Amino acid sequence: MKIGLVQSSPHLGDVQKNLKSHFAYIEKAKKENVQLIIFPELSLTGYTLQDLVEEVALCPDSDPTFKKIKKASEEISIVFGFVEKKDNGLFYNSSAYLSDGEIKNIHRKVFPPTYGMFEEMKFFAQGKNFHTFSTPFGKTGMMICYDFLQLGACYLLFAGGSDTIIVLSAAPGRGYSEEDKFESSNMWESMGASLSRFSTSFVVYCNRVGFEDGKVFAGGSFIYGPAGNLMAKARYVEEEFLIHDINLDEIAEVRKKRLYKRDDKPEIILEALKRIISSYED
Amino acid sequence: MKINEIFVEKVLTAFIKNELYKFNFSRGILGLSGGLDSSVCAFLAAKSLGKTNVFALIMPYGDTYPQDVDDAREVADLLGINSRIIDISPMVDAYFKIFPTSDRIIIGNKMARERMSILYDFSVREKALILGTSNKTESLLGYGTLHGDMASAINPIGDLYKTQIRQLAAHLGVPTKIIKKTPTAGLWPGQTDEKELGMTYKNIDMILYQLVDLRRTPADLLKKGFDKKNIERITRLIKSSEFKRKLPPIAKLSWRTVGLNFLYSFDREK
Repeated sequence: MKIGLVQSSPHLGDVQKNLKSHFAYIEKAKKENVQLIIFPELSLTGYTLQDLVEEVALCPDSDPTFKKIKKASEEISIVFGFVEKKDNGLFYNSSAYLSDGEIKNIHRKVFPPTYGMFEEMKFFAQGKNFHTFSTPFGKTGMMICYDFLQLGACYLLFAGGSDTIIVLSAAPGRGYSEEDKFESSNMWESMGASLSRFSTSFVVYCNRVGFEDGKVFAGGSFIYGPAGNLMAKARYVEEEFLIHDINLDEIAEVRKKRLYKRDDKPEIILEALKRIISSYED
Repeated sequence: MKINEIFVEKVLTAFIKNELYKFNFSRGILGLSGGLDSSVCAFLAAKSLGKTNVFALIMPYGDTYPQDVDDAREVADLLGINSRIIDISPMVDAYFKIFPTSDRIIIGNKMARERMSILYDFSVREKALILGTSNKTESLLGYGTLHGDMASAINPIGDLYKTQIRQLAAHLGVPTKIIKKTPTAGLWPGQTDEKELGMTYKNIDMILYQLVDLRRTPADLLKKGFDKKNIERITRLIKSSEFKRKLPPIAKLSWRTVGLNFLYSFDREK
């Protein structure tokens, strides 16, 4: 089954321009028989939105832009990032999985980073859940950027029975390294290797490129297989459309040898968490 | 602190091109002094935009530093970029004739702002965006003239310390004599940065890297064996130059104030 990762550079605050570029990639993907195309975090809007958040926000159920993408998903499954406006008047950094002309799932970023150079919680509400849902790629779960660096979030998708984990990202590069990449790229890669191996799932990480206010989005999108093996990798910093054919049988194959799923004990973890929470001192 | 020169070149050349194109510019303009920073910037710009799209202004004060003018010319010729020499002495002299001073800092600042003023004028004449040439060392120490050499539209080298720029320069093919040149702000004859700052750039950068990038405290550095006086001097310079790295504060009266909670990105809708 072919997956396409769009490592692109969205235009900041210009939904229509981005929509056009989404459709161009979707057409390309269809020609290559890609079954699932994945765009990065906030692919419809760009990242450094600040007060633009409310101007670019969409309501998935009623918005005409959303309808157009839904229609396109009759032929190909589409994952993309957008600003969601909910009926409660709040705005979320969200991702949608569209397939068969329908919304299969929406994930709202649970951990919007707000420290140092990041200020997402000034502008976004927080999602409250991690779901897995059925797709032709097995049970699938989505995370957005910093979600992926949270052990708890990763565990929840694993406990939810994940076969494929999709991560949409807008990660700026940070830190010198003597290698030909940002030091911060190592962080995503090591989580990709670990989570795929210990959840025996495919981990598909789609990061963006381009520049916003001096931030250099690092690219380096990747796919890790369920044995923790790197299967495909995009270049750093440069735009790329990475297409890779994955074999879902590998999941069952790996799980014969690695029984992490069978041996997981969510009930014990839940009880232990309750005890930890009840004994907080601050 | 060592950088991967190939990767840094790739990022910075992409940055220059990308930022210019976002603002509908295809050309960049910069002040070329014959020193290391502006030479590195010119090399990056030429690689990024193509030599015909880079315009360098060489702006000496009379014949004070003929060697620098020659070096700047040499860089421009080597790269094949457009360049022009503009002597700033008539404008600067006219001003000081009315307001005479012997204060070398006042004179130096005036010259830096004269160059800025010419750059901004030529930016419009040449339809070229101004590339900044201030490095991270200068910016942290406040070793530059506010609205003078610190002014620019975009700055490709502002997150690189002086020693890292030296490393990058060698990789880019900047002439050795420019890399080895004693850094000077050209404020007065015989002035050198290291003499004025009282430390070598190597020492300064090592301390800055520990304080800023690694978030170590002055006490940590003292334990590591760095010189107490140097640590104190650098810490003091960082603190006292904060105003040079910020827009001026606006007294907040309304619910929504520019800079405080009217927040839009520089790259908005580009």
